[in-house]
Amino acid sequence: MHSRRRTLILVVVGALTLVGDGASGAELLVGAATADITPEPPVVLAGMRIATTVESRCMASVLALESRDGDRVVDQAIVVSCDLCILPGIQQGFRQHVADRLPGFDVGKLFLAATHTHTSMMVYKNEYDEKDYGDAVQPKDYLPLLYERLAEAVVKAWESRSVGAVAWGLGHAVVGCNRRAVYEDGHAQMYGNPNDPEFRHIEGYEDHAVDVLCFYDHKKRLKATAITLACPAQSAPRGQVSADFWHDVRELLRKRHGEDLCVLGFCAPAGDQTPNLTFGKAGEARMQQLRGLTRTQELGRRIADAVDDVAGVIAGDVRADVPLVHLVRQVDLPARIVTEAECADAQKVCDAMDAEKAKGEAGARRWYWRVYYGMVVDRYHAQQKGDRRVYPVEVHVLRLGDVAVATNPFELYLDYGVQIQARSAAGQTILIQLASAPSSYAGYVPTPRAVEAAGYSAEVVVNMVGPEGAQVLVDRTVEAINEVWEK
Amino acid sequence: MFPRNWKSTCLAISLLALVAQASGAELLVGTASTDITPGEPVPLCGQFHLRISQGTETPVTANVLALESRESGQSADLAIMVSCDVVYIPADVLELVRQEVKKRVPDLDPKKVFLSGTHTHTAPELLAGKWVLPKEGVMTVERYQTFFAERVADAVATAWKGRAPASVSWGLSHAVVAYNRRAVYADGSARMYGPTNVPEFRGLEGYEDHDVGTLFAWNAAGKLIAVAVNVSCPSQEVESRTAINADFWHPVREALHEKYGEGVCVLGWTGSAGDQSPHLMYRKAAEERMRTLRGLTRLDEIARRVVRAVEEAYEVVKDDRHADVPLVHKVETIRLPMRLVTEAEYAEAKGEVEQAAAQIEKDPKATDRVYRRMKWYEVTVDRFEAQKTDPKPTLETELHVLRIGDAVVCTNQFELFTDFGIRIKARSKAVETFVIQLAGPGTYLPTDRAVRGGHYSAIVHSNLVGPEGGQMLVDRTVEVIDAMWEK
Repeated sequence: MHSRRRTLILVVVGALTLVGDGASGAELLVGAATADITPEPPVVLAGMRIATTVESRCMASVLALESRDGDRVVDQAIVVSCDLCILPGIQQGFRQHVADRLPGFDVGKLFLAATHTHTSMMVYKNEYDEKDYGDAVQPKDYLPLLYERLAEAVVKAWESRSVGAVAWGLGHAVVGCNRRAVYEDGHAQMYGNPNDPEFRHIEGYEDHAVDVLCFYDHKKRLKATAITLACPAQSAPRGQVSADFWHDVRELLRKRHGEDLCVLGFCAPAGDQTPNLTFGKAGEARMQQLRGLTRTQELGRRIADAVDDVAGVIAGDVRADVPLVHLVRQVDLPARIVTEAECADAQKVCDAMDAEKAKGEAGARRWYWRVYYGMVVDRYHAQQKGDRRVYPVEVHVLRLGDVAVATNPFELYLDYGVQIQARSAAGQTILIQLASAPSSYAGYVPTPRAVEAAGYSAEVVVNMVGPEGAQVLVDRTVEAINEVWEK
Repeated sequence: MFPRNWKSTCLAISLLALVAQASGAELLVGTASTDITPGEPVPLCGQFHLRISQGTETPVTANVLALESRESGQSADLAIMVSCDVVYIPADVLELVRQEVKKRVPDLDPKKVFLSGTHTHTAPELLAGKWVLPKEGVMTVERYQTFFAERVADAVATAWKGRAPASVSWGLSHAVVAYNRRAVYADGSARMYGPTNVPEFRGLEGYEDHDVGTLFAWNAAGKLIAVAVNVSCPSQEVESRTAINADFWHPVREALHEKYGEGVCVLGWTGSAGDQSPHLMYRKAAEERMRTLRGLTRLDEIARRVVRAVEEAYEVVKDDRHADVPLVHKVETIRLPMRLVTEAEYAEAKGEVEQAAAQIEKDPKATDRVYRRMKWYEVTVDRFEAQKTDPKPTLETELHVLRIGDAVVCTNQFELFTDFGIRIKARSKAVETFVIQLAGPGTYLPTDRAVRGGHYSAIVHSNLVGPEGGQMLVDRTVEVIDAMWEK
């Protein structure tokens, strides 16, 4: 009798320890840090303008997560949000730079994501930057500074990780606008004028969800928040260094929740989105003026308010014992195949630009495009020989409690994000684009209707992967997410 | 000390002041609300099967905003706008209301009165001939029409007779309430409420408009007396219920009354939303969790978002009131080309009619399920027959365009797909444009891409007018709007 009762008690206690989200007894350790990654001007900005002033500082925000079951490491992740435009080759270079400083951490489980701000530093060296940029800080000068500042923040976040908790929620803010206007003849134009009798519709969808992750210390004090929305940060006036609306979001949230709050901003699939209005500008401008805000401040307000609308609610559902699973997958996608006609058109552009250069007429910005049109020609010839028909990418899929996080390196059209969201088995799915970039420019990935309608961002010159590859990306991402949920 | 002619000078100044005051435009506003809930069971409108109301969950109301501008003591123009918690406004019901208004206010032009429906699917039927009703215990459609017309006319008269000097302002904010409800698949087909968690799902067909336009009115004492709220989403969250319910407009009104006073007249204006729904198309788990954490029903959550948007706009525009505003109201009757019925569509409709008739004959109880659908297909049969003698049929439709200061309100009778509303907004010269659909008997008016995708609301049985007519509606509406700005 006595032994049966003891056995029963043991069984009940054992069952109780298994209750929760699956990682029985697992602790979640959380670390966070922020780094200022702004060099002193003059600075070459993404898009080749030279900035001589800093409107707001560009930052990198780091979140370090580890799940431990006693002494056993269950899984890890270091996630870095960067106020930068694109990150070709940066993750590879940075992992090498920081690997030795993160003992016990697999640097393959670190990924960088860009907010896509167009008023941040250029990181992608092209052949002619030295001649055209004078004494402005160029990629060759900037990268060492960037890597070191990122490293300091990553090491700080990793080494300061401590027992914590997480909560997640979904809010809304109308920030992103689909930027492709379609006309009666079927063609589409980025930022096309809809005040036109031939205007028919905005090509694609918009998604105004704001995914919020809040991280707390062991005393349930908020230490970091990761915010994801389907809109690139490109509303600020060009020509100055600026973190765009993410600066305003950080300012507001730190004012409300403490200056030490680490705020990570992520862009969900938004290749066809912009924070700039396509129509209704007068009405919005009036409201903005009555509020006394700039556009980035207005967007910052909407996002920060959405975060706070959620944070108050999810504070009642904070979880300390959550599964953390981090898959890193190398996925081969079918590349967009360059047609003979596209090659011929690209060759003509190259020839014309070469002629301009010979006359001394080509500036840095024109040469930027010479590189990409030249790549179209190279891609065509390589593909004709059977090469470059596959585009390998690194995809990260994380499970954190009932939340799935999945990355892709592209400016992925929004519809693909909607497909993943709709098919994901997770309770909440957070998608991050421009993350874990490959060594060269990954470009936009358009939908079939965008390819048919043409226009910038749907053309081969800026697409390494097309709709066929996108569908493979969607399917593989969904498989990985659902695989983690089935375990 | 004083000029010799000082008395003459004073008199001149006084006269000038009086003339200036008399020649300035004055805005008068009157409001009224009335309960249009029947006291007996009624057939409900909105589904294909017969539902006899079983009780009342929330009252359905009609809310009236009457505007008049006066110049030099003379009436310059006027508009009386009535928002009704019903699916649509049949032409004969509008005529009935106008006749009743004429009896009560003989010197008022009844054409300046327009009604619009919020599209709640749990309100009494207003169109006769759609149902076979029980012989007893149910209020006939005709009796409800009379009841409705009398109630609305009484409210119009009250609002008109009670008009007094006022000021107005208009605001713009946002709420994520509407979802495009047409899912598109890899084969190009579209389906209303089609599943999105399937590998063939490619995206949502069309756009969503998350603007919340607000028109506020204050009396001379500065008290808020009315707010019209324009949301491009039909109020049909509880559409399948069998009790009378004003859907999300009820909790919206309750919340606004609590905040701003019981006397505030709240008008619900549905924007162009023929392809929209408050039902979630994806991300359901995350949305449901947040709703549960908040302790809200889905109706409460939708209302919360709308009310937040109204409050946000109010705080910004409350000090930007205007008493002297242009008020111009054009009423037009235009003819739009009807969508032609093809041979194949005729054959399909004829087959459906015969099948339904056979079902009813075999089992009279099937009437409740199939009679309405049979009548629906019969219209297509009749249209095809009529096309034999009139191969280019047109539909006469009424549209209203009302300029109020820098804002414009424009109406149409249809369940207008959102893209058409965007076309109007994008081309309108007004600072803010309110588009109101269902200011008449409907039917759906789809876009080209919807017609290609097919399915309910974009098939000929759902449409009297197709994309060609929709574009004409847009063009004429924009012409009338812009003419008001050129003067």
